[in-house]
Amino acid sequence: MSFLDRILLLDIFGGLRVTATHAARKADTVEYPEQCKEPSERFRGMFRLDEERCIKCTLCAIECPINIIYIDWHTEKTPEGKAEKKLDRFDLDMKRCMFCGLCEEACPTNPRSIWLATKTYELGVYERNEALYLDKSKLTKWDANVKPYPGVDPDKAPVNPAKEK
Amino acid sequence: MSQSFIHYFLVPLVKGLLTVVLVGLAAGVLTWIERRLLGRLQIRKGPNRVGPQGFFQWIADTIKLLFKEDIVPSRAEKALHLLGPLLLFTPAVVVLGLVPWGPNVTLFGVTTPLHAAADLNVALLLILAVSTIGVYGIILSGWASNSKYPLLGGLRAAAQLISYEVPMGLAVVSAILMSGSLSMVEIIEAQRKAGVWFVFPGLIAFFLYFVSGVAETNRTPFDLPEAESELVGGFHTEYSGFRWAVFFMSEYGNMISISAVATTLFFGGWLRPFPNVAWLGFLDVVPAFFWFAGKVFLFLLVYIWFRATFPRYRFDQLMALGWKTLIPISLGNLVLVAIAVLWGAAGLKVLGAVLVLLVAAGFFAVWRRPARPRTSTTMAATNVEVRA
Repeated sequence: MSFLDRILLLDIFGGLRVTATHAARKADTVEYPEQCKEPSERFRGMFRLDEERCIKCTLCAIECPINIIYIDWHTEKTPEGKAEKKLDRFDLDMKRCMFCGLCEEACPTNPRSIWLATKTYELGVYERNEALYLDKSKLTKWDANVKPYPGVDPDKAPVNPAKEK
Repeated sequence: MSQSFIHYFLVPLVKGLLTVVLVGLAAGVLTWIERRLLGRLQIRKGPNRVGPQGFFQWIADTIKLLFKEDIVPSRAEKALHLLGPLLLFTPAVVVLGLVPWGPNVTLFGVTTPLHAAADLNVALLLILAVSTIGVYGIILSGWASNSKYPLLGGLRAAAQLISYEVPMGLAVVSAILMSGSLSMVEIIEAQRKAGVWFVFPGLIAFFLYFVSGVAETNRTPFDLPEAESELVGGFHTEYSGFRWAVFFMSEYGNMISISAVATTLFFGGWLRPFPNVAWLGFLDVVPAFFWFAGKVFLFLLVYIWFRATFPRYRFDQLMALGWKTLIPISLGNLVLVAIAVLWGAAGLKVLGAVLVLLVAAGFFAVWRRPARPRTSTTMAATNVEVRA
C-alpha cells in the first residue's frame, strides 16, 4: 500500500464502492415458495426407480455403504419358457440416505435403473418414518408426500434426462 | 389559557413528547430501512413478507418484543439492570432535543423555534456532556447483568467510548473555532454568513467526527461492545423483551443524534445547499425541516452502508486507530483550522477548496484503478421457474 493510498483511504472507499455497485444488481435470491431455482444437472435429490429396466441384480443394495436398500424377488416362467426375475420388494430407507450416489454408479443397466438426478429437493415431510421409507410404488411414482420439481410430470413414468443416451 | 402557560409549559411539553415519539418511530422505521438496504447491498431481498415491501415487519417485531417475557437474571443487580437501558436511551433523546430542526414555525397561532429545547448558548458543550453519559448505561448494564459476556462488553464499551470521545471532541472544537460559538443556532447562522458549509474547510474534522460517531454508537466496524460473534451480544446478552428493545431504540436514537449533530456542525443544519447563492433560491420551496431531515437521513444511510461493507476491528486495532491515528490527525487538523480562522473570511474558503481538491484527486485515483473481476454465481437467477 503506497503512502498516498493510506492518506486518502483508497481501500476504504474502494470497499464502499464495491458494496454500492452491488446495490444496483438484481437480487440473487428468489421468492422461494412461489418460485424456485433450478438445481444443476448433477444435483442429487429424490430417488427414482424404473422397474422395467431393473434386472434385479441387487448391486445397488450391495454397494450401499449403509445398507438402506432392501430388494426381494422371485422367478417366474414366461410363456416362452424363460425364467424371469420379478420384483417383490424394493425398499429404500431414504431418511438415512446420505446421497452419495454409489447405488446409481453401481447400476449395470444403461440407462441406469435407479438414479438421484431428479432435481427434486423438497423432501421435507411431517412423518419421516413413513413418508421417507420408500417402497416400490413410491419409488416409481410421484406421490403426495414429495413435491416433484416443477418440470417433472407427476403422473408420467419417471424419466432420467441426464443419463438418457 | 395564559400566554406564559402556553409558552413555558404546553409548547415545550408537546415538543419534548414529539422528540421522544419521533425517536421511537424513527428507530422502528430505520430497522426496516436498514434490513432492506443491507439486503440490496448483499444482493438479496431482505424482509418482504409483512405488508408492502415488508414495511410492517418492524411493527410485527415491536409487538413481539413488547409481549416477550421480561427476564431478569436472578443474581443480577435489579435496579441497575433496569437503569442501564434508560441511561443509554435518555441521552440520545436529549441530544436530539438540543439540535435545531428548523427556524421558527407558526402552528395554531403559536410561533416557536422548531427545536425541542431552548436555544442554549452552551448547547454543544451540553451535547458532548450528555452523550458521554450514555456509556454509563452500557457499563452499568454490563456489570449489573452479573454475567461474563455482558461484563466484557461493558468493559470494552468503556475503553472504546472514552478513547473515541477525544477525537470527537477535538473535531467539534474545530467547528466551534470556525463559528465562534457553542450555540447550535449560531453555528448554523455562521455557516450562512461564511457562505460555505463547514464541511469543506472542516473536511478532516467532519471525517473524524463521523468515524468517532460510528465508534460512539457501537456500529460496525466498531461494534466490539456488542460483537455478536465474540460476546454473544455483549452488554445486552442478559436483556430480553422491552428492555432489549430500549437498547435497540437507543442504538438508532444515538445514530440519529450523531447524524443530527454532524448535520448541524458541518452541513448547515436546516440551511439549503449554498445558502448565499441567489439563483438557487428556488430550493427554498422545500421547508427547512426537510433539508435537515434529508441530511440526517443521508448520514443514516451511510451508517448502514458502512455496516454492509466493513468487517469488525480487532480490539487492539480499534485502540491503535483511536489513539495513534485519529487523535494526532485531529490535533493537526485543529492547528490547520485555527490558522485558516486567523487568516480571516477567505481562509475558510481557501482551506475548503484545497481539501476538496485533494479528496477529488483521491476519488479520481479510485476510479482509475481497474475493478476486480465479477464473480459469477453458479445458480443464476435466470433459471427461476414460477409455479402456477
